[in-house]
Amino acid sequence: MAIKIKNLKILFLREIKTKISFKPFSFLLNTVLISIIISSLLLALNWIFFKANWSVINSNLSLFAFGSFPSDEQWRPLLWLVILSFIALINIFGPKWKWLRKNLLIIWIGSVPVGIYLLKGGFGLIPVMSQNWGGLTLTIFITICSILFSLPLGILLALSRRSSLFMIQKFSSFYIDIMRSVPLIAVLFFGQLLIPLFLPYGLEIDRVWRAIIGFTLFVSAYIAEDIRGGLQSIPKTQLEAANSLGLNKYQITRFILIPQSLRVALPALTNQLIGLFQNTSLMSILGLMELIGIGRSILANPEYIGQYIEVYIWLATVYWILCTLMAYLSKQLEKEMSSNKGY
Amino acid sequence: MRLNIKFFLQIVLILILIIFVWIILNNLSINLSRTGIGFDFYWLSKPAGFSLAEKPLRYSPSDTYAWALFIGWINSLKVIFLSLIFATFIGILIGFARLNKNSFIGLISAGYITVIRQTPLLLQLMFWYFVGFLNLRNNNFLNFNQIINFSVQGIDLFGIKFSSEFSALLFGLSIFSSAFIAEVIRGGILSVPFGQWEAFRSLGLSERTGFIKIIIPQALPAFIPGLTSQYLNLAKNSTLAIAVGYSDIYAINDTIINQTGRAIECFIILLSSFLILNLLITNIMGLINKLIISSRK
Amino acid sequence: METVLIAKNITKSFSKGINALNKVSFTLVKGKVLVIMGPSGSGKSTLIRTINGLETFDEGELNVLGIKIDSNIDERKIKKIRRRVGMVFQQFNLFPHLTILENITLAPINVQKRQQTEAEEFGMYLLSQMGIDSHAKKYPNQLSGGEQQRVAIVRALALKPELLLFDEPTSALDPERINEVLDAMRNLANQGMTMVVVTHEIDFAKEVSDKVLFLDNGKVIEISSPDIFFSNASHERSRKFLNQLDKN
Repeated sequence: MAIKIKNLKILFLREIKTKISFKPFSFLLNTVLISIIISSLLLALNWIFFKANWSVINSNLSLFAFGSFPSDEQWRPLLWLVILSFIALINIFGPKWKWLRKNLLIIWIGSVPVGIYLLKGGFGLIPVMSQNWGGLTLTIFITICSILFSLPLGILLALSRRSSLFMIQKFSSFYIDIMRSVPLIAVLFFGQLLIPLFLPYGLEIDRVWRAIIGFTLFVSAYIAEDIRGGLQSIPKTQLEAANSLGLNKYQITRFILIPQSLRVALPALTNQLIGLFQNTSLMSILGLMELIGIGRSILANPEYIGQYIEVYIWLATVYWILCTLMAYLSKQLEKEMSSNKGY
Repeated sequence: MRLNIKFFLQIVLILILIIFVWIILNNLSINLSRTGIGFDFYWLSKPAGFSLAEKPLRYSPSDTYAWALFIGWINSLKVIFLSLIFATFIGILIGFARLNKNSFIGLISAGYITVIRQTPLLLQLMFWYFVGFLNLRNNNFLNFNQIINFSVQGIDLFGIKFSSEFSALLFGLSIFSSAFIAEVIRGGILSVPFGQWEAFRSLGLSERTGFIKIIIPQALPAFIPGLTSQYLNLAKNSTLAIAVGYSDIYAINDTIINQTGRAIECFIILLSSFLILNLLITNIMGLINKLIISSRK
Repeated sequence: METVLIAKNITKSFSKGINALNKVSFTLVKGKVLVIMGPSGSGKSTLIRTINGLETFDEGELNVLGIKIDSNIDERKIKKIRRRVGMVFQQFNLFPHLTILENITLAPINVQKRQQTEAEEFGMYLLSQMGIDSHAKKYPNQLSGGEQQRVAIVRALALKPELLLFDEPTSALDPERINEVLDAMRNLANQGMTMVVVTHEIDFAKEVSDKVLFLDNGKVIEISSPDIFFSNASHERSRKFLNQLDKN
């Protein structure tokens, strides 16, 4: 061990030595760069700890978490968030029992109806209108619902795009290409406007669900392309092997194609999830009170006027932590898949 | 026999689609007649009546909707084109820096990438606008000898003025996209086999010469698909202009809908604008790809 | 007799505490051929790569053409060595985006600052020596493996090296293509080129080498003349290895 440390030291010194003696210019550049970065870091830390006025965050924590959910009922979204983080914790640190791992997806799916019940109320709970849903709860609600709906839709679209049926193939290609060429904000905005126009008179869907429909329509096109990439990466020999075993078309799709393509597409799908999570913020432009919407409304309050930096840093931190967590979760899942080669 | 089943399936599918579309269109016509808006494009030639802060060409509220939309299109093109150049430039720098493993520069660039990628673009845009530009209370916050001047009014470069809305959007889009482009660049360079590095080193070529003459030419074709999709994303992301009040094509469509209620027509206009924009980007990138390939042969 | 290469106790350890090279020492005299043999994973490639600084080492000292290097990386010295030492790789490592002639003249023009016409003339001369001058304007992927490897040899020769390193030059070739490369190497040896060759080709080693170094687990098991090594190896492990090779 001691030798190792010594070696490391020598290596480090050696690096510095070569840098000083042979690359005076890049050494100078490095020093300047390092000092600029360190001094700006120090300035930032000084600001964060001594100058910033964090009361704008402290006194609005419940707004950031639950929006304008009635304060007596806030235990409901809190309970849902606790359940979700508990599932995530099991996902990361939980035992590697096979039955547990296999059922985790079902548990994730199951968390949605639980969330709807807890947020919406009814059946013994006081009903809460979706206008009052907000903050992190709403952000996570939209993300989870949209991803769970768009995953099967995306798989279906990807399979249709490779279908031998001409009409099906053309239709899904058309849908995917159109969706991928429009900006998300347009899909969401026109979703809010047009969905009511397409529905029979009298039938109404509230804003949150219209947003979820918009996100689902948009994200499923991207997921479809990721899965198609996964499908293309499956070697032909796999199909030959499956055919020679006498599996029928449905069985090949269900047991060979989908699992393998999902595994290949996992990193891309994670990026879609992270992108979706970040893009729920666009709903703040369209009047929903999710995380950023809450931030904007707090900044509009005369009491907190001008405290942009505090609010933005806080929001950025929340997003950064959750996105990094998702990336970590997916890395974990990838490792698991490649280590036991099974599902 | 199989063919018949396929044929039958397709017929059923077409029927279902037709019925679905018919129901939707029926609902639509009922709803439209109820609101009394209707569906046509004649309104495009009527005066728009709203003013625009950002106008690269002559425009007044008495000009037509069509002209306002065209101004929006030019505004979009302007911000997309400039951010694309800046994003590529920063992205290449960060991507190269990220290749230095276990070094300070590598660490800094990795930090840059994670902070930029793991926070929403909208938040970053709001940051550049409200904190970056609107906070510069005095009129010349950073003034370098009349060459470039950052202030609450935006950027003034050699007397060419860019509004603070445009500048914030330019900053936000360039920096956000640069983090993704950096990953494309890094991936492209890592796709060149390690043997190529060893080969030029063993010939006594310096790292710089080898990198420029051997590694980059081989990585270039690997850059193109990734860059294309990032540029397409950048174009789509530019519609977040509305968050900082820059009048791009989407923002103007939004204003028109609020004024006239012509949602469906505007959706068609927006869709076709983006189809054109995407075609433009993919074709230019395809051309660049061809140039790269032909320069090798 | 001028000694071109002196290795003294070269040791390199990987992070797991396993030694890739363990106190390897040998010398090589000008105009001679050293063949390095050993089972896969024995450290042959690592050893030959340390000679031109593609791999670093932790302890010991290396003297290449009078330039001394040790565990302290001195980039200037390594550059000097690389200018005077040529290397041929298992996977050819030709530059796929350059023509054969451009592959060959790249280093003479950029490293030795020679005139383009002069470099091209010399390159064409070397190519004709190998009998592949008709391919000069082609790209590497238009050539067979054997031709590509001969181009790689020409690329190394174009710098007029004083020492040539071969890292398993025939392992990636089809069996019927091996001899054209070995013939080229034989010719070089006959012309008095100093060479270090990592290879599994027993016949080549018997015929061409002046010295055989047998490496196992990063340790030199024996260094002897080919006559002794192939007929009467002093070590149990060398004999086992040779038996195995014969069977294949």
